[in-house]
Amino acid sequence: MKKYFLFLLAIIFCGTSAAWGAVGCDLNDPDRDVARLFPESTGYKTIYTSVVQKGGEKLLARIETRLGDKFHGLYETIDVPYTVYEIFKQKNKIGYIHGVNQKGQFGGIQVFLVLDLDGRIKGFYIQKMTSQYAGKLRDAKFGKQFVGLTLKDFEQYDVQTGKAAGKVEAIKNPAPEAEADFRSALRATKKNLILMDEFGFISKAPGQ
Amino acid sequence: MFKGLLIGLMVIALPGLAQAADQLLYFEAQGIAGYSTLLEKPVYYSMNPDAEMQKPSIGFDYLKKFSGESGDWGTFALQYRLAGIFNGDDKRLEHQVYNAYFKVRTPGPYVWVGHNRPAFGLSSYFDSHGLILRTLAIQGFGYDRDWGVGLTRDFSWGDVAASLTTGTGMPAYLNGNYMSAGRVSYGVLSQDNYNIGLSLGYGNTMNTMGYNVIDPTPLQMRLAGVDMAYLRNNFEHRFEFLAGQWLGSDSYAFLYRIGMNLDPENRYKIEAQPTYWKTGNDTDFQMNLCFSAQMTSNLTLRLAYTNDRNTTENLFVLQLYFYMPVLR
Repeated sequence: MKKYFLFLLAIIFCGTSAAWGAVGCDLNDPDRDVARLFPESTGYKTIYTSVVQKGGEKLLARIETRLGDKFHGLYETIDVPYTVYEIFKQKNKIGYIHGVNQKGQFGGIQVFLVLDLDGRIKGFYIQKMTSQYAGKLRDAKFGKQFVGLTLKDFEQYDVQTGKAAGKVEAIKNPAPEAEADFRSALRATKKNLILMDEFGFISKAPGQ
Repeated sequence: MFKGLLIGLMVIALPGLAQAADQLLYFEAQGIAGYSTLLEKPVYYSMNPDAEMQKPSIGFDYLKKFSGESGDWGTFALQYRLAGIFNGDDKRLEHQVYNAYFKVRTPGPYVWVGHNRPAFGLSSYFDSHGLILRTLAIQGFGYDRDWGVGLTRDFSWGDVAASLTTGTGMPAYLNGNYMSAGRVSYGVLSQDNYNIGLSLGYGNTMNTMGYNVIDPTPLQMRLAGVDMAYLRNNFEHRFEFLAGQWLGSDSYAFLYRIGMNLDPENRYKIEAQPTYWKTGNDTDFQMNLCFSAQMTSNLTLRLAYTNDRNTTENLFVLQLYFYMPVLR
């Protein structure tokens, strides 16, 4: 019997040199969500990636610099797995859906962005959020404020102070009681866009 | 069969092969130790030495997506554990297979074949395979996993699922036994923060516990159930009720689980769960409490307490649960 334990341990660690953290961010129901978020799509392909896989500490440092904040906590370890959905219309790739976890007021929230191939936001979707004000932040009117924005716009948002300029400054919080979750959503959006850029899914961000 | 599984995993884990971005491989290990006031001795299980639930074990969780030029078309999932049973003189290892299915996307529903969750009750979508608190299926009113086929379809308003399985749970036997089940639910938990489900089950199922067949004679199953999940702020509520005939006896059972998340990352959680059931002339009531602490992104500590009214047992259990995605 002991041999089974040893055998399992051996194969698990055979040739593995890095580990992923366990807090990923998937669409709960990809079929339903992809069809809703990308109505013109006919299919999607699921891709798993991580900072540790794509570049390790150097990449993490670059992402933190661009974000203007350190990665910290369970949701932002270097080995967190990210799930990217490549969206297809027939055989043509037409965009992406990507979500990230972010600390919220009452627990983790999950912020998904619907992006075209240039990294321009086509849709904004908060999946997990248990706050009693979640309905207001999930409302389509709130999400529409993000449509058309790019990473360049979010570069003007300071995730530590919450100060913004340009188009991001114009995004209004529909639930003043949930200011912490509102700022978490903006931080998650900027983080999401930076990760997609650094992972190489956005070949050339608009305006850059 | 199990050697085949292990060899399959070895192939997956070999350097280079695991780099593909369409698969995930997790390593899982857990230690369980507790104390039973009824037995007046330490125990090394969370529920029963014969049940499939938590015991000291190591294993893996593997998921692979299959894609064509126009997107994903299939998913293969395999969860395997090698569990240790340490119960007095009974010391042995047990192979356990949880998820072992292939799921195909069709123009209509998803279709799965293999070992997966039957379409009945809370267990049909709520994964307990690493947890200590039990759903009604794990408590013995149904099967957390079963061998067979199933369909699932998501709609904007909720989900519909159906399954036809062997009605044996962890082992697969065919002796005229089967279990058909269907569940329709309203509300999308991840969007609406609630989900209410109605389930129906019909068949002749086998009385099993873990991999042990208690009675090989199929017994009548005619069950209806309702379940609900509701999330608000840092509270989670889950409720499940079923009634009808189970294993040939008139039965009903319910549970209510309330959980409170204590921090913004859901690292710490306390839960309480009363469970009541009646089957034939026997009734029982259990009170469960559980504290969970996610120590790191891979390691969770759980401390649980169970009081059983009939046996007057107080069971204290400590679990260290390690779950680490492995990629090169």
